[in-house]
This record gives sequence, structure tokens and C-alpha cells, in this order.
Amino acid sequence: MTYRKVGRVLRYENGIRISISEIGEAFEENGVFQARPAVEEPAQTRVSVPHSALADLNQCVAQTLLSVRSGRIERFIASEGVATHEIDGSKWTEESRRVHISLVNQPLRALIDLASFDVAIIKTVADALARAGGERDAPKRIRLAPNVSAALLPSLIGELAMEQTGGGFDGRGRPIETRAVTHDPPPNWYRPGYAVRPVRAWMNIRALPFGRIDHDAPLAIALLEPIHGTSLRILCVDGDDVFPTTVDGSHVAAVSRAEPVWYPYAAGSFGVEMML
Amino acid sequence: MTTFSIASRDELWLRGALVESRLMHGVATQRGDSIDASDTRDDELVRACDLVIDAAHAAVASFRDARVRIVVRATHDGEVETTMTIAVDGVSVVTTPSDALADYELLHRVRNGSAPLCGAIVWQNGSAAVLLHEAFGHASEHDAAPVAWPSWLSIEAPLTSRRETFRDVPLMRMTHLIARQTSAPFVMPDERVEVQLVAGGAYDPMTDMVTVDVAVSSAGPFTIRRSRAEIAASLAGASGEPIRYPGVICSREGQELYVASHAPVMITDGLL
Repeated sequence: MTYRKVGRVLRYENGIRISISEIGEAFEENGVFQARPAVEEPAQTRVSVPHSALADLNQCVAQTLLSVRSGRIERFIASEGVATHEIDGSKWTEESRRVHISLVNQPLRALIDLASFDVAIIKTVADALARAGGERDAPKRIRLAPNVSAALLPSLIGELAMEQTGGGFDGRGRPIETRAVTHDPPPNWYRPGYAVRPVRAWMNIRALPFGRIDHDAPLAIALLEPIHGTSLRILCVDGDDVFPTTVDGSHVAAVSRAEPVWYPYAAGSFGVEMML
Repeated sequence: MTTFSIASRDELWLRGALVESRLMHGVATQRGDSIDASDTRDDELVRACDLVIDAAHAAVASFRDARVRIVVRATHDGEVETTMTIAVDGVSVVTTPSDALADYELLHRVRNGSAPLCGAIVWQNGSAAVLLHEAFGHASEHDAAPVAWPSWLSIEAPLTSRRETFRDVPLMRMTHLIARQTSAPFVMPDERVEVQLVAGGAYDPMTDMVTVDVAVSSAGPFTIRRSRAEIAASLAGASGEPIRYPGVICSREGQELYVASHAPVMITDGLL
């Protein structure tokens, strides 16, 4: 069973624009995982990123650079990609957008990862970071913005009621079906790149709504560090105040019923406002 | 216009058996701020990788209790680089085929002790090179402000444009780090922790903080987190010629590159 991927990515990375075209294949033989560039067949056409998508990427880069003071951007990567995947009779095409940006206001660093060119989130976090005051104790109640809650969800598998969202195919070409997420081995396989051996993973997880969100509670709008277990170091907004704090995310008090947004954490995670 | 081409073979061996094998090749052409990259094959580079990796297999087969990753990279400038990361019981070294056996034996020889975590640190096996890799080398990559290093210490850590694959944006990175001492003071402290192997390290350009995770020492594993100025001020002595440290795979912006590292036996005081 050979997996084959034809892809092209356009990436902006800290001032450099790079276009990457690849055709790769991977298979297992006698227990050995093997990956290599595929020999191009005459009938095989490489894929292209649509011109409109390139324009969107350029617009995202320009708007971000305009809306955030240049000295505040430590790292900025934005990409637009298209890939066709083929394995075991299944063939599908995916388009992907990714943004990773780290914004700094010494000694704080805000980390933002998105699957859309949502410049509004970046601007909101940048503006708040510029006004951030000193460290505070964790508030008794705190809301997590969708981009923050999505990062936390993979750490809560088996601890919080959530489901795998059905749709599309996994890294072995199997359909992804809606399932309750438990401690049991996941039914699907995650393949982040053709040269990476697939691993079992819950894909596109989302927390099931419950409880009531207190909209007066302070709001965590960005991570200040990668999540360690269920410990979150976050940038918090409370009225006109902005401050860094650290909270334990293991006890979720409410999950919003709003439409969730997909974020590129683990094998996919839907973010929606949650309250701790 | 500049062109970069590369091929690499990457294998993972567990307890003497091959479990993963990857071939990668490609070309990147840069014009100004734009790079056009594809997986175009250069047969000569692929052949260079195949020749070297075949030679490395003989060493791997005898490491029956280890996890071994071999990476051979051949680039357009004629360089062929082979690194072997050998891990036993969660502790690893990064080495080359010619030093693999000696470093494999080192992994079996060193043991964590239970001495109290206090006093000076004596950096054995060239491990001070990791401390200086973070505090001097990475700081140079980020153009950090100078700090006062001891007059007896000289550090060679040239920067050049490097990248891991054809997919990556080249960055100014260290090629190697060699620390040397000239007439440095050296008195072995009575109260000391002796470091044998280091698990990893980091330098944060925003806070100017250095983190080093010690894997094997007379006091067991521990972590140092200090400012670069504090690291420089802690250097209390050194002895002998630079010793090859069996590391370092350096990761920056997601790009992992080998950096040859050498340092004499060194003493730091005030870090514990």
C-alpha cells in the first residue's frame, strides 16, 4: 500500500518568499517504513496554488506587517498550500493555510497559530500585548478564546467530553468518522507529511458544549508559551487591563455553543470559547 | 542568483534492525528575497549518500541495545556529512562513524550519581562546548550585545549561511564551536558536580537567558537556567586541549543541523 502526495506550498518566512513543489511516496515493507521523492510519471502533473490564493497570502503578509509594529514581530510565517493524496484507491485534494507568528513585548512573547489569514486576531493580540502590565494571580474564572482553547484540547483527551469530527480522510486513506474521543486507541491515523510514519491519533477534535459562559470573566486571548501538560501561560484581558498569568486548564467549567473554528494543533483541534 | 542542491539518506535503527528509511533530494534557487524549490534529483549527490551510508551500516549492526539514527547529507559544494545519534536508556550522543564505537562505549560507561547538587560544576568530555554553544554561539547568531568573557578563553564559532533541506530558508548558523584556554586558572574544587553528558540546551534572544539540561552528572540530571552574563561570569577555570563533545544537533527555526563542538575541561562556579 503506497501513499503518494503531490504538493505545492507558497510560504512567506521572515521576509523571504519560497515556493516548494514536491511529489513524494511512502510505504512499509517488511516492517520498514520507507519514504522518498516519487519518480515523476509523464501523465503526472504537478499541482499549482491558485492565483487568488497567492493574492490572499500576499494580502495577509502586507496587512500583518502594516498592523503590527515591525519591532514587535519576532517570527512570522504564513503559507498557502495545495496537495493531492492517493492511497489504497482513495484520492483527495486538500488546500491549507497556516500562520505562525510570535509577537514580543519584552519580557512577553505571544504565540499565534492559525489555519486562516485572520489578521484581526493578530492585530488584537498585538495591541493588547503592547499594553500588557505585570504578572497577576490567575483569576477565579477565566474564558479562553478559541485560539487558546484549541491548543489546550489535545491535553484534555479522555478528561473532557469531546468528539472527533467526521469528514475527509486520514493518513491511511480511511474515512474520518464522528466518534466520541476516549482514552482508547484512536481509529484513525495521522500523517503530517509524506516522509513521516503515520501514528494513531484523534483527528479534528472538538469539545462538546455544556454549562454557561460568564461573559464578564477575563478573557485569555493568546498563549505566552507552548502548553505544558494542562498548564497555560496566557495573555489575559480584563476590561482595560491586560496582564500575563498562568492557569491550570484541567477543570473546564463551560464550553460555548458557538460555531467552532479549526486550528492546526496536534491532528487538528476545533476552538470555541471555553471557561475554566 | 544562488543555487543550493542536496540529497540525504536518513535511517532509524532499533536494536540492530532497520525500521525507517528516507531519501530526500532537491534544489533551491534564490533570486533576491524569493526561493524556487523542488525535489529535483542530482544523481551524483544521491550516489555520494548511498556510498557513505553503506559504510555506516557495519557500525550500527553491533549496537544491539541502542536506538540509532544515521543521517548522511551531500550538498552541491562537495560536502558529505554523516551524523549518528545513538541513544541508550534515554541518554544520547551525536557522533560520526569513525567515533561511533568510542561514543557508544562512553554511553555505557557514564552513570548518574547522587552527589548533592551544590558547589562548582566541572564540565567533562568537552561538555562545556554545549554551554558555550548556547551562551556564545546562538547569541552571536542573534547579534546579541557583548558580555565579558574571561581573558583566558577564546571561542571560535564561525557563522555561515546554512539550511537543513531545500525546503528551508537559509539562516546564519554556526558551523562548529571550538573553545580554547590559554593559561587559565584551574584548581579542582572539593565540592563539585561533574557533568558527563548534556541532553540539550536553548538560548532565548528576547530574555538573553541560557538553558542547559544536563543528562548525566555526579548529581544526576539537572537544569541550569541563567542569563548569558551570569554564565560568562561563572567561568572559573579550564585545563588542557579542547575535547570533542559527542553532540550537538542544533535546532533553530525547526531546522536541525550538526555543529561540531570542542571545549577543554572547564569549571563554572555560582550556577548551582
